[in-house]
Amino acid sequence: MGCDTRTSTSAAPAEYRDLFQEFKGQEGELITILVRVQERFGYISEESLKQISRFLKLSENQIFGVASFFSKFRFDAPGTTSIKVCMGTACHVHGGSQLSDAVGWRLGINFGQASRDGRFDFQRVNCIGACALAPVVVVNEQVHARAMVTSMQELLESHE
Amino acid sequence: MSEPTAITLTIDNRTLTAHKGQTLLEVARANGIEIPTLCFLEGLSPHGGCRMCIVEVEGVRNLPTACTTPAEDGMIVRTRTAQIEAQRADILQLFLSEHTSSCLVCDEKTECKEFMPTIRKAGVTTGCRYCPKDGQCELQAVTEKMGITNIDYPIAYRGLRVETEDPFYDRDYNLCILCGRCVRMCQEVRTANVLAYKNRGRKAIIGPAFKRTHLEAGCEFCGACVAVCPTGSLREKARAWEGKPEREEITTCTFCGVGCQLRLLVKGDRVIGSLPAEDALVNRGQLCVKGRFCNTELVNGHQRIRNPYAMEGDIPKEISWEHAAALAAEQLSVCAPEDFAMLASSNLCTEDLYIAQKFTRVAMKSNQVDTTARTFYGGAFNAYLDLMALGVPLSAVHEADLLLAVGLDSRFGRSVVGVALRGAVKRGAKVVSIHPRSHSYSLFADPWIQPRPGEEAGILEDLAHAVKAGESSPNPEVDRAAQLLKAAQRPIILLGSEFMQYTSASRVLDAVRALARALGAGVMPLPPQNNLQGSLLAGAYPELLPGGAALADAAQRTRMEAVWGAGLPTELGDWNAWSLPEGKRTKVLYLLGELPPQGPKPADFLIFQNIYPPAGFSVPDLVLPAAASTEVDGTFVNGEGRIQPVRRAVAPPGNARPDWEILCHIARKMGVPGFDFKNVTEIREEMAHLIEVYREDGEEDGARRPRPYSGTGRLSATVCPLPEVSGAGEFLLTVNAVEHIHRGFPLSAWVEGSKALLTEGLLEINPADATEAGICQGDSLAVSVGNIEHVWPAKLFRDQPRGTLNASLREWATFSPNPLPVRIRKAHV
Repeated sequence: MGCDTRTSTSAAPAEYRDLFQEFKGQEGELITILVRVQERFGYISEESLKQISRFLKLSENQIFGVASFFSKFRFDAPGTTSIKVCMGTACHVHGGSQLSDAVGWRLGINFGQASRDGRFDFQRVNCIGACALAPVVVVNEQVHARAMVTSMQELLESHE
Repeated sequence: MSEPTAITLTIDNRTLTAHKGQTLLEVARANGIEIPTLCFLEGLSPHGGCRMCIVEVEGVRNLPTACTTPAEDGMIVRTRTAQIEAQRADILQLFLSEHTSSCLVCDEKTECKEFMPTIRKAGVTTGCRYCPKDGQCELQAVTEKMGITNIDYPIAYRGLRVETEDPFYDRDYNLCILCGRCVRMCQEVRTANVLAYKNRGRKAIIGPAFKRTHLEAGCEFCGACVAVCPTGSLREKARAWEGKPEREEITTCTFCGVGCQLRLLVKGDRVIGSLPAEDALVNRGQLCVKGRFCNTELVNGHQRIRNPYAMEGDIPKEISWEHAAALAAEQLSVCAPEDFAMLASSNLCTEDLYIAQKFTRVAMKSNQVDTTARTFYGGAFNAYLDLMALGVPLSAVHEADLLLAVGLDSRFGRSVVGVALRGAVKRGAKVVSIHPRSHSYSLFADPWIQPRPGEEAGILEDLAHAVKAGESSPNPEVDRAAQLLKAAQRPIILLGSEFMQYTSASRVLDAVRALARALGAGVMPLPPQNNLQGSLLAGAYPELLPGGAALADAAQRTRMEAVWGAGLPTELGDWNAWSLPEGKRTKVLYLLGELPPQGPKPADFLIFQNIYPPAGFSVPDLVLPAAASTEVDGTFVNGEGRIQPVRRAVAPPGNARPDWEILCHIARKMGVPGFDFKNVTEIREEMAHLIEVYREDGEEDGARRPRPYSGTGRLSATVCPLPEVSGAGEFLLTVNAVEHIHRGFPLSAWVEGSKALLTEGLLEINPADATEAGICQGDSLAVSVGNIEHVWPAKLFRDQPRGTLNASLREWATFSPNPLPVRIRKAHV
């Protein structure tokens, strides 16, 4: 029986209700809420945007406008294995861009994207403070020093 | 409020007085000092984004922007020094380095305008025209004024795709200078919040969230952003290459009972665009998609009828007006009063409708003249008239502290009311909305009471009860709404048409009336027919005489007989607008701006008078070309009861003529006296004898005053006369009549862009329900109850509640009762 007429207005799902508990629903809380949502879900999804919009009574477009201003917020789901290629000065000089090209070619993605199967997440970082080990690649918080294009291949395969 | 403090300051060595709170730009412009601007626009908040208005203020570091700097006492300001000019030129060049700018800095610029010489092939005949704003562009004007002929910066065109996926306007953000006028218009004035700045720095662009189209993002397509764009970035699809208009004409919009004032842009003998007029009474410089975009396309269609034609067998044959009038007169002269019927459109001017009923009553000695408003309001028509008598003007929305919207959605129609409503929320008013589906107020209505179809009357009755007797309702939202209503000082009730075709419509309206009485609240009925009041006042109904008096009203009858010099028919007749869906046949049916019903031919002789041919319907015997609303003079009476003028902006195409003129011609041909009008003023003079408000309107300062409906006659209102069916089913079907009807045609029939927005003939279903039933977008969906079955294409609509279906139809009388439990299945082709 389709007697649930309230799907379109249903109260926020439990996970959002928890999340919004500490807020009053005022416009000024938007950025903090965005930060919390990204912490909780890893990114700002269309669903998140809808829930925030209902909570703050702000249009989804305005919220997206604010969120897209900050490079911190991302709008697609992150991959499970995080790959960060350092593009700081030292790493750049030691061929960081070749490393990123290699990752990009293999996964068919660019910085800030997740691979199609959702297994890899590809980010650039600007110096992690390990310049002596350049070029550096960080896979799931583990630092790989003096990475080479050939070793990238193995590294990715080991996480597949 | 205290007088603003006067201050004195010096601009360009001139000592000027101003008052505190003015910006430097305002002071300068008030005193005839020119400062270039791009992002500044009166009515929007100062932005300071284009930095064209930089000035030098003594004692202030850097160069502040004049539009954002408040004038202070004793300020010394310079607006044109070598340094300022150099910086402005630099900034402008930075704009131009991103902007495709051959029209601005090309060497061939001057010659191009005249001879179009260029080395490129395409340019030889067309010039390099990738921007339709050439000659009307503010960036171009500023560039020319500053004399920029070269760009010293590297060219950095963005190469963005031109966005053409939305109806009515295209967006080429390569031409965008990020002045933010559209964003501020959308957020501050319209408060629709569809446009926002996205990203940052070089990647900054304007648009809705993610990569949504404007349609998906909730845009109302009011076109306000397009109108304020200083470049060719936002452009109307239909008007883009029309160039500059030659003149303008103020008139009244003909698409709904709000009656917005339009500024028609005319070039040659064509209306090329319509913009909102700065009218303080009704629309306050705003429009909805219909008034803004649909007007032009509707009146300019190449399929407009240009000449009268008669059917000779199956072949239409063009004839002269003389011949056409003779043909009509021949048929009508031998037609008995009870065999004649006229169905008029409530979109016509009051003058046309007055002549229509006079024609029926005097020439045909019959009372069988009706409009389709009868079928729209059905059994609730009298209740609606009662509410119109309680009507308050639109200005009440601007003053109210609580607004109860009943079945109102103002996204595409009446969106100026939505703007006023959102404005009310901004200044702290509360909005309570009762609507079965997600609608334009669902985000900010608090509470939004969402009845399951069929429950709405009960909820309103509960609400009225809770307000009157203080009893609490089992529904906590109704309770809360009742508390808010009781606490309100100046509540008003806005009435949309969502529930009008429901079987419970008259209960809904009675409850609204009871609620209004208990609260002392004003009611604002928002009829979708632009001249509903006019049609009632003209007497274009069998039961009503001019002035809205009852047919039996002796005083009015005496007056009419004296003015008309003819006896009046007394018989009500047994034909009215409901006879058409019932399939009743007459001898002669005169369709005045209406369409024949679907199905068999409704009369032996069918006269069809309209602006477009009746494609896809039964074939009329005589087709008469009418002039459209931009081609006639006349008046409309809007929902508030304001008599508003319609003005002739252009000549009708071919031999088309105003509706009243055609009727008078036929009457004269029949030898009936009293139809020798030369123009609408003469008709209005006669009307003034019989219709009180038109008499008042002729007096001084009566023009455009709002007057609650004053007619005393009652209609014999009928609920949908189809036999009631009953059946079980897992889906609840509601059927609504489409609101966007003009002269019988749904706007989507002749306005390309409205096909995406103003749909009709589709069955809306929740995507989850559709998936369960194995239905995809556009599949044929069979809806059945008992042994009756109807098939409509499915439209997957995420806001349609689970377990319900909704169909908006031109001929809505399909099932009775409404809403009705039905079964669905995928229809196999």
